Amino acid sequence: MNSLDALVQPHRVHRSVYTDADVFNEEMSRVFGGSWVYLAHESQVPNPNDFLASRLGLRPLIITRDDDGGLHALFNRCAHRASTVCQADCGSARRFQCAYHGWTYSNRGDLVNLPYPDGYPADFHKADHGLAQVPRLGTYRGLIFGTLNLDAPSLVEWLGPAGPLIDGFVDRSPSGRIEVRNCQRMIYRGNWKLAWDNAGDGLHPTFAHRSFVILNERQHGGARSLSQFKSSPDDTGMYGADLGNGHMFVDQRPGLHQSFWETQRPVPGREWYAEQIEQSTGDGAADVLEMAPGSMINLSIFPNLLIKGNHFETVDPVSVAETRLHTWVVAADGAPDEVNVLRMRIAEDFPSLGNPDDLELFERCQEGLAIAEVEWVDMSKGLGQEATEVSADGVARAPVTYEGPMRGYLRAWLELMSSDVQLTTAAAGDVECEVAA
Amino acid sequence: MGAQAASPVDDRLYQRLADLLGPTQPQRPPGHPELRPAVEQALHHEARLLDDRCYRDWLARFTDDCVYWVPLDPGGDPRAQVSYLLDDHRRMADRIGLLETGWAHAQEPPSRTCRIVSNAEAWPLDGGDTLARCSTVVWEHRKDRLTPFAGRNDYVFASLGEAWSIRFKIVRLVDSRGDVRKFSFVL
Repeated sequence: MNSLDALVQPHRVHRSVYTDADVFNEEMSRVFGGSWVYLAHESQVPNPNDFLASRLGLRPLIITRDDDGGLHALFNRCAHRASTVCQADCGSARRFQCAYHGWTYSNRGDLVNLPYPDGYPADFHKADHGLAQVPRLGTYRGLIFGTLNLDAPSLVEWLGPAGPLIDGFVDRSPSGRIEVRNCQRMIYRGNWKLAWDNAGDGLHPTFAHRSFVILNERQHGGARSLSQFKSSPDDTGMYGADLGNGHMFVDQRPGLHQSFWETQRPVPGREWYAEQIEQSTGDGAADVLEMAPGSMINLSIFPNLLIKGNHFETVDPVSVAETRLHTWVVAADGAPDEVNVLRMRIAEDFPSLGNPDDLELFERCQEGLAIAEVEWVDMSKGLGQEATEVSADGVARAPVTYEGPMRGYLRAWLELMSSDVQLTTAAAGDVECEVAA
Repeated sequence: MGAQAASPVDDRLYQRLADLLGPTQPQRPPGHPELRPAVEQALHHEARLLDDRCYRDWLARFTDDCVYWVPLDPGGDPRAQVSYLLDDHRRMADRIGLLETGWAHAQEPPSRTCRIVSNAEAWPLDGGDTLARCSTVVWEHRKDRLTPFAGRNDYVFASLGEAWSIRFKIVRLVDSRGDVRKFSFVL
């Protein structure tokens, strides 16, 4: 792999960034390891001894909460012969026993039982043979991040202006907390960055989601989900922003002229649940119903968390040309149950009606990228016009169809890929955990 | 813009769906053999309508209070969990309407499907409905790839015979907890 600088230029990206297995292998350590990566949400391990399976790039993880409430991100790999020690997606367990030879670990990662202990060398100490784990964890409003890079900036510094935007998403819940529940698991035949490009791309909805826009106009009329992209989206005030460190933001709210609820496409149960809420909350019903739909923002936390609609999507690379895309439903804690029932139906609305078209287009891109002689992917729209407006918090904004957010994340990608990062793992009890917010 | 009926989905309907897949269901006795021919006739006709992409004719076979549901966790409560999809009649019509816009890229070119319906059993329900269970494999061919979607399906038929109609159709994909290829045709 030579000269990454030549592959990511200000206005274009080389195809090998999406197709080269060597680039992918480097990404799996420098990006998914060298950077902070979203691992899970605290609400998925709410009680002592809860656990959840996750991944850090290609590394299988077990996120655990010990009986004192502490969080751990254990590599799901027996210290003996490497077998995974946990097969469940989630559950509750104090111990993880390897099925192969019986080595048994606590949910803090300590090796607590070594069967038939005779015969090991004199310098074999159980304390040295626990489950290896992610050495740095950080939480922000319940979102758990991890990195293998001890030199990475603090979590809050790395999030930068993305932090207050996460606050905005979480604070729509009355209790100021969210609850991440189950997920839809989809897989597509394309590089993980195709999903990342898409998340900061305000140019595509008019075309990629034309079926959805036309359907809503024909069937439901008025200003409905995505109608703000029907034509000339840049005239609506919607904008995109590069938030630094690879994070991206697309704000659709200036394109709305009604409440989120009025704009939301009708989903199953809309009428009955709205009526229940109106009966129980009276004048406050409009505010309560407003908690059900998405936030009309696309907030992308590099390299693997997309906050969109009312849900999370995680981007989980499998190989250079295969990616898992998991859509996690998020409940508003403290909201009436009726709101969260509606959130379930809303969280499967665009993902089942709109996402297939996105995935189809990612796969078409990967097909086109196979042509070795046609080398470049163009990302020049709005080049040099990244800051047509600057917000109060200093974030540069540009019209929503400009490609600045993509150029921004690729700059961050290039920096990570070019840096001389040292990755480490930790033993039990040797983990740094930062509670950022 | 056609006049839209309100969604019939309410708490009671969700409870009925949750009960249909509840924990006592595996203990259900063998199906009633006398119901099987009529149920198979309806299942086979439905399979043909879908493989021929006669989606409007298919939709016309559903009651006004129907649900087409592809759960992620069969046995879970749809009020607390997200599904691949849980459609009432209105959202089923939207799903079909989306394909009819001519701009649904994921169905350009369209999938060709062949579904095998087997292991049908049926039981009478209170109120005249019929519960049917079967195993279905939908083979999808699109763009040089053949992809199977295997599921254990549950149906509640509101009527059988020539004028068969469906109240609930539930597709329990065997890989619903794994990674599923995108689908935007009807399972």
